[in-house]
Amino acid sequence: MSQIKKKLLIVQTKAPFGSSDTQESLDIVLAAGTFDQDVSLLIEDDACYQLLGAQQPEIINRKNTTKMLNALPIYGINKILVCAESAALRNLPRHNNDAFKFITKNEIKTVYSESDTVIRF
Amino acid sequence: MSISILVLGAPFESQACYTAYRYAKAALEMNTIVDRVFFYQSSVHTASTLSCTPRDEFDLYTAWQKLNQSYNLDLVVCIAAAARRGVIDNSEQKRHDKIAHNMSSSFELSGLGQLVEAIATSEKLITFGE
Repeated sequence: MSQIKKKLLIVQTKAPFGSSDTQESLDIVLAAGTFDQDVSLLIEDDACYQLLGAQQPEIINRKNTTKMLNALPIYGINKILVCAESAALRNLPRHNNDAFKFITKNEIKTVYSESDTVIRF
Repeated sequence: MSISILVLGAPFESQACYTAYRYAKAALEMNTIVDRVFFYQSSVHTASTLSCTPRDEFDLYTAWQKLNQSYNLDLVVCIAAAARRGVIDNSEQKRHDKIAHNMSSSFELSGLGQLVEAIATSEKLITFGE
């Protein structure tokens, strides 16, 4: 693997269990972390529903990606950003996990402009 | 200028694969270095040799294969995304004990590390979503 480090931003925008997007975007985040890249995850729009506790996707035989999300810091991925406005619009509680950083629309603009590569799901 | 291309959308449902194809072709014709094209999510179906395009429609599957042959273009298909969607090569067929394999030899099965490497080494990554 190349030694070049790029700032990679993965953006999730979809509800967690309605498509494969959450799972397959998280896999990129994990792969980038494994290869020691500077990766951030930004959770926007309906993807914020991942913040709700006690998700039970097993009932519909979906993999519990929320567990994977909460475990990201274990894999050295500490930049997990949440669009505060998206979360507030959906009346979602601020996550008690310290790994999640709630940021404003203006801060999101800065995150985008500082990233070398952005992939939106 | 060197670029890599990430394709996400399915070859028929979405315009992503076709637009990505035209983009890759145009870039190669302009002598831009295309380090890699990475197929992820439903775009992995592009590598299937069992797709049958009606005669009066554009055969996108063969078009990608021709691009690979003409330019020795690196076409990588995510192995996990492809196996989930029934696109497998000979060795995956054996590994998963399946009755057939269907992947075009113009494409290579590999992991997400190949996407991460492409992002790290190419100057730009161009994504074609759904």
